[in-house]
Amino acid sequence: MNDFLSLLPLLIISSGAIILMLLAAFEKSRLETASYLSMGFFAVAFFVQLLVGCGPTIVIFNNVFNGMLAASNFTQAASLIILACGFFTAMTTHSYFKVNHFSSLEFYAIMMFGACGMLLLTLSQELITSFIALEIMSLAIYVLVGYNRSNVKAAEAVLKYLMLGAFAGAFFTMGTALIYGGVKSTKFVEIGAFCAANSATAPLILGGTFFIFVALLFKAAAFPFHAWVVDVYDGASTPVTGFMATALKTAIFTVFANFLAQNSGLHGSWVTFLFYISVLTMFGGNLIAIGQSNLKRMLAASGIVHSGYLLIALVAISTEHFTGSVIAYYLAAYAAGTLGMFAALAYLGGEGEKRCTFDDFKGLAKVRPYSAAAITVFLLSMAGIPPTAGFMGKFYVITSAIAADHMALAILGIVSSILSMWYYLRLIINMYFHKTEDTFETKESVFATACTFILVFCVFAIGIYPIVI
Amino acid sequence: MIQDYLILSIILFCLGILGVITRRNVFSVFMSIELMLNAANLAFIAFSRLHESMDGHVLAMMVMAVAAAEAALALAVVILLHKHKSKLDTNIFSLLKG
Repeated sequence: MNDFLSLLPLLIISSGAIILMLLAAFEKSRLETASYLSMGFFAVAFFVQLLVGCGPTIVIFNNVFNGMLAASNFTQAASLIILACGFFTAMTTHSYFKVNHFSSLEFYAIMMFGACGMLLLTLSQELITSFIALEIMSLAIYVLVGYNRSNVKAAEAVLKYLMLGAFAGAFFTMGTALIYGGVKSTKFVEIGAFCAANSATAPLILGGTFFIFVALLFKAAAFPFHAWVVDVYDGASTPVTGFMATALKTAIFTVFANFLAQNSGLHGSWVTFLFYISVLTMFGGNLIAIGQSNLKRMLAASGIVHSGYLLIALVAISTEHFTGSVIAYYLAAYAAGTLGMFAALAYLGGEGEKRCTFDDFKGLAKVRPYSAAAITVFLLSMAGIPPTAGFMGKFYVITSAIAADHMALAILGIVSSILSMWYYLRLIINMYFHKTEDTFETKESVFATACTFILVFCVFAIGIYPIVI
Repeated sequence: MIQDYLILSIILFCLGILGVITRRNVFSVFMSIELMLNAANLAFIAFSRLHESMDGHVLAMMVMAVAAAEAALALAVVILLHKHKSKLDTNIFSLLKG
């Protein structure tokens, strides 16, 4: 029974996706109905996941799935974040498609299929399951990126993403094949046992893990594989970008942490590699972000920087007492800020996303003070200013790095956080200290506005949650 | 014996990587990616024989199914690109400069 309950959110979302797909076949069904339904499914799944508390790790249906799926507090937190991201994205798209008319009902179905893949990815404890979940998620996201078929930029973004994503997927399979050759199994637990009994630097294991790391770092947009992010985020429509930036990253880092946490030998032998990757990711991302004039591109580059912080947390996880709480908390804080930012951009951007650069938002505070205040809160959270969630997230990541004796990493994290102020404050200055040039008229869009203000509340709520508890 | 299969698989994989990097036609790039996936399949089957277990066969089947789904999507993207530019050279898609 407990096994079934831990799988229930995934079942709700997958059946919801199929129902929406069937609904799209009827001519009478309207786009709004589909968006309400998907919001409903996400909300129900969220509350089910919230109520199904699972203590330590549960292996789901061990007889049927042979230990391929397992739920724990960490995966529960990750799926809560993913479901919340799905809910807020559905809200944002509801308003977005009132102004931009390129959607059909399948949009919501595909979004839910993507969420399905992400939930499966958080639960997976085996490499091939991870690969299949990764592909379910990626295929859905490719379609969402290229959904606006009349837009050349979107087509180009989906081409780049698909080419590089499939390339990374091939690396993942090759890595799995090599590890299977070395260990005779693809389960995380057995790989860990093998690495503990033998050396983690046997050629097959070393090569296999390297290939898997390449694929995961690519999807997480870490340093040598970050170039695609900026283009793809720019080409995709705003709500989709928000969904990609938050939910996808949550799923990837969850499976990454699950993989590393099971293998203390593996973690030990790759720590130096991850150390350099995380430093380069943070500073590379900052350099790219400082040079951008387009807001979506800036947010994409800041997403690279946040991946760097999450990699610090990965370097610092303890394999003996793994809870993943630091990673889950940082992901929640990052998701609240970023989703809010994209929700605000979705309704302020107007038709065809015509307001998209720093200059377009000059003087926003005089015309729409509340929206400007909300954006300011999100930006301050991303920059890590107290008392927002972003500050607490960074605080936990850096203290975990210090606790794991990575003093240099902690200091570099703080330096990168200070550098990132540059581009966050630039937008705030543009909004508050410039003359108004635009009227910022938008169509009445209740949902995106509501979503923005709920997320402002979330940013503070997540920020003070650890103090209250 | 197993080494031979493994070497062949690695050679195919490297050819795939080379193809993705050097080819400029969208079709050739996707075909090179398929080559990489099939190299992994060959390694799966070879290791399955080595370990004398059927796991590797099942995994290879799974990879094939996923590769087919990916190929279907890739063809849809190719059609979309052809509608926009009536060419399939990756160089002409340079609106987004990252």
